[in-house]
Amino acid sequence: MPLALALTVRIGLWLLLAPLLPGVINKVKAVVAGRRGPPLLQLYYDLARLWRKEVVWSTAASPGHVVAPAAAWVALVVAAALLPLGSAGAPLAFRGDALLFVYLLGLARFCTGLAALDTGSAFEGMGAAREVSYAVLSEATVITALLALSAQSGSVSLAGMFGQTAGAGTLLLAAGLFVVLLAENSRVPFDDPNTHLELTMIHEAMVLDHSGPPLAVILHGAALKLLVFAVVLVEAVLPLGRLSPLAAAGALAGSITLVAVGTGLVESLMARLAFRRVPLSLVTAFLFCLFALIVAWRGDA
Amino acid sequence: MMPGFLLLAAALAITTGLVSAPRAPRIWRAAMLAGGALAFTAAIVVLASTVAWDWRAPLAVGGEHWHLRLDGLSAFFLVLVSSFGALGSLYAHEYWSDDEHPVSAPAGRFWWAMLFLAMALILMSANGMHFLIAWEIFAVSGYFLITSERHRVEVREAGWLYLGASHASTLCLFAFFAGLAARTGSWDLGPMRGQSELAPLFWLALLGFGLKAGVFPLHIWLPSAHANAPSHVSAILSGVALKMGIYGLVRFSGWLPPPAAAGWAVAGLGAASAVLGVAFALGQHDLKRLLAYHSVENVGIILMGLGFAMIASTQGQPPAWGRLALAAGLLHVWNHGLFKALLFLAAGSVLHTTHTRIMSRLGGLWRLMPWTTGLFFLAAAAIAGLPPLNGFVSEWLLFLGLFDAMNAGGPAAWAAIPAVVLLGVTGTLALACFVKVCGVVFLGTARSDAAARAREPGWSMRAPMLVLGAGCVAIGLAPALFWPAIQRAMEDWQPAWGAAATSPAPLQALGAFHVVIAGLTALAMFGLWRRVKNNGVSRAVTWDCGYALPTPRMQYTAGSFAAIITEWFASILRPRRRVSLPDGPFPASARLEVHTPETVLESIVVPIAMQAMRLSTAVRRLQHGRLQAYMLYLLAGVVALAALALLGA
Repeated sequence: MPLALALTVRIGLWLLLAPLLPGVINKVKAVVAGRRGPPLLQLYYDLARLWRKEVVWSTAASPGHVVAPAAAWVALVVAAALLPLGSAGAPLAFRGDALLFVYLLGLARFCTGLAALDTGSAFEGMGAAREVSYAVLSEATVITALLALSAQSGSVSLAGMFGQTAGAGTLLLAAGLFVVLLAENSRVPFDDPNTHLELTMIHEAMVLDHSGPPLAVILHGAALKLLVFAVVLVEAVLPLGRLSPLAAAGALAGSITLVAVGTGLVESLMARLAFRRVPLSLVTAFLFCLFALIVAWRGDA
Repeated sequence: MMPGFLLLAAALAITTGLVSAPRAPRIWRAAMLAGGALAFTAAIVVLASTVAWDWRAPLAVGGEHWHLRLDGLSAFFLVLVSSFGALGSLYAHEYWSDDEHPVSAPAGRFWWAMLFLAMALILMSANGMHFLIAWEIFAVSGYFLITSERHRVEVREAGWLYLGASHASTLCLFAFFAGLAARTGSWDLGPMRGQSELAPLFWLALLGFGLKAGVFPLHIWLPSAHANAPSHVSAILSGVALKMGIYGLVRFSGWLPPPAAAGWAVAGLGAASAVLGVAFALGQHDLKRLLAYHSVENVGIILMGLGFAMIASTQGQPPAWGRLALAAGLLHVWNHGLFKALLFLAAGSVLHTTHTRIMSRLGGLWRLMPWTTGLFFLAAAAIAGLPPLNGFVSEWLLFLGLFDAMNAGGPAAWAAIPAVVLLGVTGTLALACFVKVCGVVFLGTARSDAAARAREPGWSMRAPMLVLGAGCVAIGLAPALFWPAIQRAMEDWQPAWGAAATSPAPLQALGAFHVVIAGLTALAMFGLWRRVKNNGVSRAVTWDCGYALPTPRMQYTAGSFAAIITEWFASILRPRRRVSLPDGPFPASARLEVHTPETVLESIVVPIAMQAMRLSTAVRRLQHGRLQAYMLYLLAGVVALAALALLGA
């Protein structure tokens, strides 16, 4: 059973390491601001505490309050399991898995959006509306990036697209995907994970009425999603698959840390964008990826 | 010979249905169920075999011998027609009962059987004239079904628009079949790809069938017709009847030598329908109108598949990506039939108990209608193209075909790149739209008394929905099982496309993933549910920024939810706003209303029609009933002719 073992180790690593990333970002923000900040493992403590807590539900909440977080979390876990990791590749790869990956992220969004509308709160409705609307642009960007990678590698599988080749459009791709990472994971300048103003929130507004274990699942899923996007960004840019296993693992870990530090720096140095600017910056990211696609597609011709 | 007997028995059953419709609803229902089951079996038999069923009657209708043929492609569509013809009749029993609708229920039963029969005949006609006759019966029975509630003025308007559009479509098809008959010398239909002089006729077919399929600029009749018909009728019109237009396009794009630009045009129209259909859907307040616009979207997705297949068919040996695109289009025909019919039936259950289609009067229905809610959510996830359901399978096939087309290079790559992006955008927009619908209609708390008093429909309405939902799940979890049927249909589209027996896409791997996702989700839900129960649950009011007593009116509305996206498309949607701002330090009232009209109809078709009317009115002044003036016309005419003759000589 080498495949089962490899899969267990891989998914275990994903689940275990995901909550580390927000910790790194928060540490960077604290250092820049001259504070000591919360411990690196704060999210682990939070998750453990939430898992043991009693649940308080809105009187309007349906069983969807349990079903949707669970389904969203599974979608994210399967999406993560599809991604190739460095030279270890992707054991579950099949032709067209790239699109399953994109649509699994969509499934997670569908579930979180519905769970947000479940309580009938105007704030959560607002958050869900923003999330699904901006996702139109960020998903178009991700699909364009996948097209660029497919044109570059000639493959329609994540294993072929990621970590195999680096093209001339790499920098453009990196810029586009980094913006998507910030937008999809509700980071500054699109959203502020520390905000206390319900009116201005996106992701945080959607989880206002969740509590206890379902909230733990949602938070863990969000951390997992951040790690997924970080891995996508790194592997779209660096041909890690060609390195030796150890070097690839080191480079992957180092680059992901770098992405987290970059996110922390952006968050410390930038203010939030006004909502009307959000589509504009996402369209810019889309154009970055589109130019990367054109370079990858027509570059050789 | 086997399908022949089955079809004969089905025809007898449906005829029994026609006869028994006014007086004997039970016999009618049994007849429709039997007819549907028999026709379904016949279609499956043909799909499973390698030969088509072909039958020439000695009987001549309109001077032409009656010729029926059921090949793989028509059987593929007959599966949809027959299964919904039967399921819908079951639903109608409770939904449109004789007690509530003493006049329109018996008439509706008759026209339902007629519609079923006409659609089956369209699929099987191998003679242009009989195709036209069946087409006309199909259009007219649709009209009588749509206008079941003709005492309401908006129903009559919708029916009138439908009738006008249907006849415009029939007119195009008249020209098409007449042109075909004139150039080939016979009304017989069959493959004629060798005769390149027939190519321009395809444009007429595109217009005629496109009107019926609801392709974007030609969809003007569709939203009001589907919204105002009884819900089981909306379901068959949207899920099945639109597919007759698709069938015509698929059929004749395979039989005729298509013009060089046809594939590009079909794919372009498809992309436009897909994106704009869902954009219009987002702006709607009426649940059924919204679903109707999603039909425009899904027809667009089907046509994108067909268009790329047509582009591929112009390249000698058909490339694998073309087969993927065609397979995606065909499978989406089934998928859209399943989930759209389910959505309309579930919307019908809501309408039946709350008597309103306006989404902002609903809310909180999950508590009172758990079955309907669950099935609606299932269909919503399917139509949004989410794994592990059937909508994703066909969209995935199309994506795969388009990615391959891009990597294969050549001119098709230029079209494939925008198509991929637009298909992705369509998917996310549909997702946004269905999060809105599900959330506003079924979650939260009731926004009106009618919604608070809703109740679950009985089993005769639930059973058809369950069957359709099971179909969505089955295609999602075991897509490889359905590949042979698609393959069989492709063979009869063009013989060259049936060469390879195996699927060019790893459907088995996708199916396995879907099963794993479904299993893991069930497991995770169970685990989390137990954990929550274990930790204990207490209830509190919804957090609304400190309000102690949130009311249902404080919930987010459907209009606000969609506002971000509809604003992006405002230049096309042209939403109408009526705003009265709060005024003064103690404002008494304020109001904001946003309404998305059928823009193509109101800003393009109606003005052109008005101009035509004005012109005709001007011409009508010549005819006023005064004999002297008519004699003057005659005299002037004779003088003019004489002058012409003299000058000509």
